[in-house]
Amino acid sequence: MKIAVCVKQVPAKDAPLHIAPDGTWIRETDISFEMNEPDSYALEEALRLKEKHGGEVVAVSLGPERAKQTLKEALAKGADRGLHIADEEFYRLDPLTAARALARALEPERCDLVLTGLQSEDHGFGQTGVLLAELLGLPHATIIMSIEVQNETLRLKRELEAGWFQWLELPLPAVLTIQSGINKVRYATLKGIMAAKKKEIRTLLRTELLPSFELTQKLERIYVPQKTKKTEFLQGPPKEVAAKLLEKLKHEARVLGSS
Amino acid sequence: MKPVERERLDADVLIVGAGPAGLACALRLAQLIETNRDAAAAAGLSAENIYVLEKAREVGAHQLSGAILDPRALRELLPEFEQTAVAGVSDTPVSEDAVYFLTERRAWKFPVTPPPLRNHGHYVVSLNRLAKWLAERVEQAGINLFTQFAGAELIWNHTGIAGVLTEDKGLDKNGRPKPNYTPGYELRARVTVLAEGPRGSLTKTLVQRYGLDGVNPQVYGLGIKELWEVPAGRIRPGFVAHTMGWPLGTRLYGGGWIYGLQQNRVSLGLVVALEYPDPQFDPHAAFQKFKTHPFVRRLLEGGRLVRYGAKTLPYGGWYSMPRPYVDGGLIIGDSASLLNAQRLKGIHIGMKSGMLAAETIFEALCAGDTSAKALSVFQKKIEQSWIREELWPVRNFHQAFHGGLWSGLLHSALQMLTGGRGLRDPWRTRPGHEAYHRLDGQRSPTARFKGDGRLTFDRLTDVYHSGTRHEEDQPCHLIVADLNLCGTRCTIEYGNPCEYFCPAAVYEMTKERGERRLKINASNCVHCKTCDIMDPYEIITWVPPEGGGGPNYEGM
Ligand SMILES: Cc1cc2nc3c(=O)[nH]c(=O)nc-3n(C[C@H](O)[C@H](O)[C@H](O)COP(=O)(O)OP(=O)(O)OC[C@H]3O[C@@H](n4cnc5c(N)ncnc54)[C@H](O)[C@@H]3O)c2cc1C
Repeated sequence: MKIAVCVKQVPAKDAPLHIAPDGTWIRETDISFEMNEPDSYALEEALRLKEKHGGEVVAVSLGPERAKQTLKEALAKGADRGLHIADEEFYRLDPLTAARALARALEPERCDLVLTGLQSEDHGFGQTGVLLAELLGLPHATIIMSIEVQNETLRLKRELEAGWFQWLELPLPAVLTIQSGINKVRYATLKGIMAAKKKEIRTLLRTELLPSFELTQKLERIYVPQKTKKTEFLQGPPKEVAAKLLEKLKHEARVLGSS
Repeated sequence: MKPVERERLDADVLIVGAGPAGLACALRLAQLIETNRDAAAAAGLSAENIYVLEKAREVGAHQLSGAILDPRALRELLPEFEQTAVAGVSDTPVSEDAVYFLTERRAWKFPVTPPPLRNHGHYVVSLNRLAKWLAERVEQAGINLFTQFAGAELIWNHTGIAGVLTEDKGLDKNGRPKPNYTPGYELRARVTVLAEGPRGSLTKTLVQRYGLDGVNPQVYGLGIKELWEVPAGRIRPGFVAHTMGWPLGTRLYGGGWIYGLQQNRVSLGLVVALEYPDPQFDPHAAFQKFKTHPFVRRLLEGGRLVRYGAKTLPYGGWYSMPRPYVDGGLIIGDSASLLNAQRLKGIHIGMKSGMLAAETIFEALCAGDTSAKALSVFQKKIEQSWIREELWPVRNFHQAFHGGLWSGLLHSALQMLTGGRGLRDPWRTRPGHEAYHRLDGQRSPTARFKGDGRLTFDRLTDVYHSGTRHEEDQPCHLIVADLNLCGTRCTIEYGNPCEYFCPAAVYEMTKERGERRLKINASNCVHCKTCDIMDPYEIITWVPPEGGGGPNYEGM
């Protein structure tokens, strides 16, 4: 089975974030980056499927030069080769454009399965995997909690709301977006890290794969939510105050259901 | 219990710690192999068989320094760096030096900068960046650099060491294996180099086991640092100021620094010797106070905090240097006390010691003899190098300040006139925790510093800015030998110094059913090792947590 995993490099979770002067992205100079956590579960799932069914795992990352580090990490954990779609201005892309670039790079690979994380921890659009499936003309399923492969068919468990699950079957090839926590992610081993040095990372340029594009979505402004504190005194006889309070909790603070 | 099955790997040389010392050692080894190909081939040496371990998630993530770089060693290691790579290494050359004495309201500038604090020809750097830059070169040379792996235990052989066990990964907080449990490796090497920085956890066991201590025990300073971005025009890049006096006064040894960086960045901090008498002294709060001095406040106001961190440094100098060699092992850099406390500089000496270690190791491996005797050449090389020239005249420097700032300045002037001898030589010291005065129940817990949230911060806000992160479900890496002592004897005798000395709010006394108990917030730990040094009963042992855990000192 040939499996591609899309891994994105995102700002490290502990990074104190500051907004860039133009107000549409964060300042990247003070922070370090790491593999998007949901993608690390997708990678783990790909490695397990390969261990069970044989084949190849190709790690794909769209991003600036530094994204190669994330590919190296994937190789150290056991991916067989890496595809880097280089784009220094990557953060400007909307999910559709990112998916287009990924699709162009993945088309010639003719994979049996493409895995992505459920969403990225920076933009959090949660659309790239789904759009990618559409562009590749493949069926997809989201929020995957388990994968079984039985002769050319996928048996999948999806997470729904409120503790419900859905079981479904999909034919291969397909695109799946993986829910965090589906597995326990492995550690890179010393031998894996050494072996990774000999593995190939091929670089494709986004400008060549997708020379022109029109953004369908634009980030106007990002900002830190304003923390507001408001104190209000309710006056009157206790009964009245209690009624007012209940009203406020329901309709203004919305901490109580209004039914 | 069944013994753990560990995978074994064999290296020629294993370097523990990717700080400036370890990285310079690795790079010099690669250079020697490259330039002496025949000898290296005959001895079966290759760069691939040199391993470097670093516990941080990436190289540099645990590097925190001032830092002013004396480029002497780097010039010897990579002579072309000033032509080709200053941008990668340096933030800015030092343009102006000043020393100030602070009182609560005023700053008195010394009319002349004392020679040891003159930094003409030096660079202001981020050690985090410098380490990353060196690591790139190390990897290009073919050396195997493993981040997120710690040396957890030494492998002993009868008279020395034979390598390390790396830490087990994937254990839960009770020490039971989780599904992704990965036992540590047995890494064996012909020579193991300990480059763990100050208070190395392996170095400590090695020094204890073989009684390698020098004339004096090691004493330490704790440096607390913040990186700020300030409104334009407040400070020139390359402006370097050191301060003495307030808020530490003249009894405590230490002082502040303020360095101007590119892009309106400021590196500032306070170093305090870990040998103060008041067990409830709070170094973090002292640093916060430092920032409220008009001299500092003027600079920072309206700016923002970028990063925070804390790290110790060895102050003991030449007389605290442990014997740096055993069978199959060497100790370099801060771990070997190779830092100049008078100039507040250790990067260049650490690097030089790494290079000398590399030369020693290369000769030893080519001769097929890595015994203590063969490796003792390292000490000779240190004694014949500029390291001794630099450290010997200041061998009693730190000790001279035992009686406070003024007598210290007098003594050190006298030492300067007598080639370092002064009135007492060697001037003896005691371990820092012995300086505590007992409180004997005379004091209740003191109120903690809160900060205004703009100029000054409490410890948790600061820890957040250190980028510290650990796997939560793992065994506690701060091992307290006797937890019963904390809420009883220690509370009465010393008032629980751990609550005060830790710059990351790891230690917290709580009340449970009327009993005082110690709670350890190990996930906050910034790996400074102050607890291992300053707990009054020496019952806290710092061991490396799961690799990759710890602070993230980007840009520090
Ligand atoms: C606040 C402060 C300011 C300073 N200012 C200056 C200055 O201006 N100029 C100057 O020259 N020097 C300065 N120094 C000193 C300088 O930073 C040190 O001398 C230098 O970093 C020592 O290098 P090292 O390689 O020996 O150790 P370190 O830099 O401490 O590196 C040790 C590395 O080993 C890793 N490690 C430790 N134990 C293990 C283990 N068991 N397994 C795996 N990895 C491990 C650590 O994570 C770390 O990355 C300053 C120090 C401090 C704390």
